[in-house]
This record gives sequence, structure tokens and C-alpha cells, in this order.
Amino acid sequence: MVFTGLGVLSPVGSDPAAFYAALLDGVSGVRPIAAFAVPTLPCRLAGEVQGYDGKKFLPAGNRDARKGLNKMARTVQFGFTTAVKAWEDAGGPLKGQIDPFRFGVEYGCVMVATETEDLAAGAKATTTGRPHSVDYAAWGTTGLGLVPPQWMLKYLPNMPACHASIYADAQGPNNTITAGDAASLLALGEAFRIVQRDLADAFLVGGCDSRINPVSYSRHTTFQELTRRNDLGDAAVQPFGLNRSGTVLGEGAAVFVAEELTAAQKRGARIDGELVGFASGFDRGLTGTVLASVLRSALNEAKIAPADVDHVNANAGGFARLDAWEAKAIRAVFGGGIDVFAPKAQLGATGAASGLLELAASVLALKHGTLPGTRNAAEVDPAFGIRVATEPRPVAKPFAVKINATPMGQCAAAVVRRWDS
Amino acid sequence: MRRRVVMTGMGAVTPVGHSVAETFAALLEGTSGVDRITHFDARTFPTTFAAEVKNFDLAKFVPDASRFKKCGSNTRFALAAAQMALADADFRGVDRGRVGVYLGAGEGSEDFDTVISGIGMATTDGRAVDHGAFARAAVAMLDGEREAELEMNTSAGHLAEEFELLGPNYTCLTACAASAQALGEAAAMIRHGDADAMLAGGAHSMIHPFGVTGFNLLTALSTHNADPKKASRPFDLTRTGFVLGEGAGMIVLEEYEHARKRGATIYAELTGYGTTGDAYRMTDPHPAARGAGKCMAAAIADAGIRPDQIGYVNAHGTSTQANDESETAGIKMALGAAAYTTPVSSIKSMLGHLIAAGGVVELMVAVLAMRQGVVPPTINYETPDPACDLDYVPNFARQVAGIRHVLSNSFGFGGQNIALVASKMASG
Repeated sequence: MVFTGLGVLSPVGSDPAAFYAALLDGVSGVRPIAAFAVPTLPCRLAGEVQGYDGKKFLPAGNRDARKGLNKMARTVQFGFTTAVKAWEDAGGPLKGQIDPFRFGVEYGCVMVATETEDLAAGAKATTTGRPHSVDYAAWGTTGLGLVPPQWMLKYLPNMPACHASIYADAQGPNNTITAGDAASLLALGEAFRIVQRDLADAFLVGGCDSRINPVSYSRHTTFQELTRRNDLGDAAVQPFGLNRSGTVLGEGAAVFVAEELTAAQKRGARIDGELVGFASGFDRGLTGTVLASVLRSALNEAKIAPADVDHVNANAGGFARLDAWEAKAIRAVFGGGIDVFAPKAQLGATGAASGLLELAASVLALKHGTLPGTRNAAEVDPAFGIRVATEPRPVAKPFAVKINATPMGQCAAAVVRRWDS
Repeated sequence: MRRRVVMTGMGAVTPVGHSVAETFAALLEGTSGVDRITHFDARTFPTTFAAEVKNFDLAKFVPDASRFKKCGSNTRFALAAAQMALADADFRGVDRGRVGVYLGAGEGSEDFDTVISGIGMATTDGRAVDHGAFARAAVAMLDGEREAELEMNTSAGHLAEEFELLGPNYTCLTACAASAQALGEAAAMIRHGDADAMLAGGAHSMIHPFGVTGFNLLTALSTHNADPKKASRPFDLTRTGFVLGEGAGMIVLEEYEHARKRGATIYAELTGYGTTGDAYRMTDPHPAARGAGKCMAAAIADAGIRPDQIGYVNAHGTSTQANDESETAGIKMALGAAAYTTPVSSIKSMLGHLIAAGGVVELMVAVLAMRQGVVPPTINYETPDPACDLDYVPNFARQVAGIRHVLSNSFGFGGQNIALVASKMASG
């Protein structure tokens, strides 16, 4: 399965070229939160996509698509508009060139929080300022009716895949993986398997997430491992760092057009890279054993040895336990000599988008020949015994490995190959 | 020859029973699980009833159930169903490194009170909201452990932790199609060799104020408050919408040789899986059942059988105008003339709609119908609808001998269509 189109929306750039250039230049998207006032929250930094306007990503002539944005929460808009860009990047309408029933959609997307404004009238009518107190009788008679009729549809996690399928007339397999920070890499793996069993020729494979809204940010503040080192600003996220203090929430999206190789060649598609191996598992208790075995399985499927890999694109984001776990598995499989790259330093933790957004960095690096350096990695914990490259350097080998994981232990690894016609 | 995937264990928690056997027996009796909502005060909501799981006690299923008190009810149902399925499959001694989890599962239990009271504190005119004020109030009120459990991957994560299942761990949410899709993809993983066995199924409860609010606003729920047990009436002319249910179902899927070698009891083989997207609208199904019909046909073809070999169809049958009519069209498209002679029933008439967990419970009921030669009814079927003119097994269970293949449909808001075919084992 090869990549033939890419859409990217990120805190450091809203198209693949800008995104890759920013990564190479060491630009950080981690900044004080601008979307709303957060003076009293412990973490006041985030990787925001500032100034996003979904309409700008849609064809000017397509009034239906532009109007449709009103039915989408920010996360859903991210996923949809980025699919449109990926679709255009793949050469525009594959319509007519692909059997619609063999054109699938796979997304990673998780809980999409309500916008507070949608519930404001209902809340005002049913609350009196007391914590946890809502007048249910009033909600049923009055409050409920003050909520926009299509409220729920703005927030369902399978809506990015729904809207993308309608736009592209993709009537094949359509799934949305909701496995937290591993979601979109798992979605890619599933699309890969479906193509391997010859049920689809092409996929839109995407991930999207925005948790930088009042409800989501408040919720995540209460359980995510977020840094309190607001003073560090763009140096706050330190993957594998000796002094790592947690991560920051990021937001964004990435969508690949992925096609079965011969189908892509038949239509003369530009090929950006190839997915050659995938595996996933659950590392119970975060021992590192399962992640190591997942990495080995993915390499086996790609029929390569650890020494063939140019770099490991890590999940690490400044997490106390998860970064240590990942380092242990990387060292067990690759030894200490491989270069590790950790884009969360520049992007923040982009949740369900992270798998594919971060993978895009490796696909672009292999394609263009230079691997970006990892920001904020001057002081990697020496106990890990891994090498995190801090400066850009030429790509030396044709393969890269991407890891994603959740704090519970869901983990996935993908092996991508540089395309050499 | 592709690897064969069989079902070797089943567990369920539903509005009519806390096991598969209890559930199936109640369905054959035509028992409705629908009643007034007790989870919250819904007396003034447009819909005041749902099919709740009653008197559920997790302590009967796992040691020290208090560990899971911050989990959503979805996870608690999932743990019980998984425990029963794994015990049923007798998984002692099986290499857990080659066993994964694939759930169609929803969110945990949403903190409606905090979100609404917090927004109330942060708005003066009922339109604009002071986001900083909201965040300050909300962070002070929210319970972090409970919020973490709201995330959708936690149910599958808890199952992996509790039962030591170290293979692929997936969660999908394609609305009402999710657990059927989970079964189809989990079977595909086994065929590909990514796992030897998968615990697959779903868990969900949307019987919370946000869930009822959202579906009421879409006018998707029946508002037949005068007689709740009569509200879910799939394929009946007077149907007015679906009824929310809740629960969990888990099936142990296993590679056939793996199951045979350890002498496992085999319920059925999962032979067919069809998956399409409508690419039409957010909620309305395609009126000609373009995607649904194609997906049923694909599942039948995947099973390597003819359409007239399907002996029973467990319908998605939600009791909404649009679904039941388009599903009927889809069954005709896929089964051809055999559509009129094949029994089709919707157990949502009794269970309500378990949303993400619906498909798995429906598949296991279809499998038991095949094994026991008796098909559960569609209750509340009183007035035929000219647009729905198939044999819906009205009101009473029916003996049907010789069923060798069953078809189970699940269609989601968002256009995802899933069809599964299960077959009696030719051997073993």
C-alpha cells in the first residue's frame, strides 16, 4: 500500500510543505493558549492551530461543503477539510478511476466535546449557580428544547469519516478507531489489512483531534499528564528528557490517500512512500515486552532487520512513565545506535491525530532526504541508553518506524519505506 | 485456503438478562426490557423510558469490583460479559500473548451535572459563555478518575488488563454498527495471523441525559410514553422511532485449528463479513439501500453461499420509519426472491437499541436461534406496513428447523453498514 496524497493541519503548518519546513527549522507550535482565557489552570500551554478557518480549505465553488461546516465541531472540521486537501493532493477526483465500493475511509477520532455555546441557553434555564446542580424537570420541559436540533451530530466521532466519504463518494469499508492516542495509527493498520485482503483499492486514512476547547480542556486537565512548567514556553515538552515534566495538548489532523500499489501505478499516481509493516498489541503494566514484540512483528512483516531502519519516530512527549517504557523497548529492539525522533516536542500531544500527523513527518523526511532534529532534547535521560538526534541530518536508510501508544498500554508500530520508483 | 474463524465463547449483559442464556430465553418468551428510566429523573423529557439493565452487580463477575467504581457503566457491563465469554470458552492455558480485544464501544458515564451547571455559571445571557470562568468552575467540580474513564479506549484496556489479553487492542465507534464491525475486523485479524483469538464485541450505554437529549432532538426516539413496552415496534406501520437500550456482548473468536486442538466447544463459524459506507447523508440511510444491500450481498458472497441458503435474518430493525423501510429494500436486494420466504426478526422490539453493543448481541442471538432451531419474534408487530412486506416473525417465537446460515445486520448513523454471516460447522 502506497501513499499518494497528503493533507496536514498542525500547530506548525497547514500544508505538508509548511509542516515539513517548520519541523526542519525547529519551529515550535507550543505556545500560551490563545483560544480562551486560562489564567487559573495549571497548564496554560498548548499546540494550537491558530486562526483556523475551515472554509479556506474547501473549493470556493463547493457551497454544499462550505455550508456543511456548520454541522461540524472543530475536530470534525479538521478531519473533513484535511481530507479534502489530501484528496486534491492526490490529483483531485479519483472519481471514475476507482470503484466507489472499493474506496474506503478509516479515521482515528475520539471523544469530541460539546461547544459550551450550544448548551448555554439550556444551562441558563435550568441552573442557579450551585455546583453539580441541574433542575432535571426544567431541562426536560425547557432546557432540552433550547439546544440546536442537530447538536449530537456535530460531535459523533465517526462524523469525520462520514463527511469524507460523502465528499469523495467513498462507499467501501468505513471505520473510526477511537483508541486514544494510538487511534489513527491503528486506523492505518486496519486500512492496510483491508487492502491486503483485496477489499479495497484506495483509502482516505485520517486522524483528527482538537481538545483545546473549554469542556475538553477542562476534562483533560483533570487526568492528563500535562506539564506545569508554563515558564518554559516552547521548551516545555521534553521527550525522553531527564527533566521531563509532562506534555501539552496539541490539535490537528493528517489524512493520507493510500492506494494499493498496482492501482496507484495504473492511474499514474505520484507516490510518496509505502507502508510495508504493521503490528499492534497491549503492553499490560507497561513492561516494554509487548511493545518490543510489536516492533519485531512490524519489522518481520516488512522483511527487514533493525539495522535497515533510518530512524524511529517515537510517541514520546515528556511523559514520566510512558517515555521510559518506550525507550526500553526501542533499546531492546534497535540497540542504542539508532536515531530517535520525537515530534511531540514541536506539536504537543495531538491525540487521535498524532499517529498520522507524526508519521507524516517521517514520510516527508524519507521523501525529501532530511530528517528533522528533535527539539528540546539536549538532556535526554542517560539511563534510557537511546540516541535522540537534535539536529537535522540526511536520511541514510530507506525505512522508518513509527510508534504510538496510550497510557493504558494500547500500542502500534508501522514501518514505512522511501519510494524508489 | 484462508484460516477459519469460529465462535467458542459468548457472554452478555442485556436489559432482559445477565447472561446469554437468560437473554435468549427471555427473547423467546417475547419479554420486553423497556420501562421507565431510573438512571436519572427523565419524567419531563420527551421520552421517559428506555431498556435499562436491571439489578446489575459487577461483584458477581469479578473479584473486588470496587476497583471499577469510577468506570462508566459500559466498562462494567463489558467486564461481566467478557468474564462470561472467556469462562464459556474455557480459556485456561491459552497463550494470552496471541489473544487481542476488539470492541465497538462508546463513552463512559458523562458528567451532565458538572458540564451544565458549569456552563450555567459562565453565562449571563444564555448565549455567550465566559470560557475561562467555565474552565475554572469545571476543573474544580470534575472528578479526574471518572473523566479518564469517559475515554472510549478504556473499556478495551480494562478487559486486556483484567484478563491478560496482550494482542491487538482496538476500539471503534461507528455508532450503531460498531460491535458488528468489531467482530468482522477481529475475525479478519485472526485470518491474517495477527492473533489466534480475539475477544470481540461491544459495550455501551447512552441512557444518560446527554444521550436522551441528543436523540430526542433528532426526533429519532419513540415518545410513546403512555405504553413504553409497546414503543419499539420494528416494521410495524405505526412505528415512531427507536428505544434506547444498554448493555454489553462479548464473543470469543478463535482460529479453527486452535479451537479444535484444545477441544473447545464451537458455537458456529463466522463465515461472512460485509462492510460498506453509504456516502449519502449523516443520518438518513440511502432510500434504495444502496450500501446496505451491497453489504449484505458482500457478506453472503464472503461466506461462499447462495442468498437462498440464509435461514434467518436478524435485522437491524430499529423501529424508525427510515431504517425499517430501507433495510427491507436491502434484504430484498441481497436475498432476491428468497427474501419473502426467509424469517426476519428484530430483537430491538424487546431489548431496545444497545447502540454500539447492539450488533454483537444480535449476532449471538442469531447463532443460538440456528443452534436451537427457534427464532425470536418481533414483538409489537400489529399493523403491517405495505413498504415492509417480509416475514418478520410477528409476536411469537417460531420453530425453524434446518437453519445452516444466519445473517445479522447493523447500520450506523454516519452511513456505516455491516453484515455478518454465521454458519453451522460442517465438521467439528
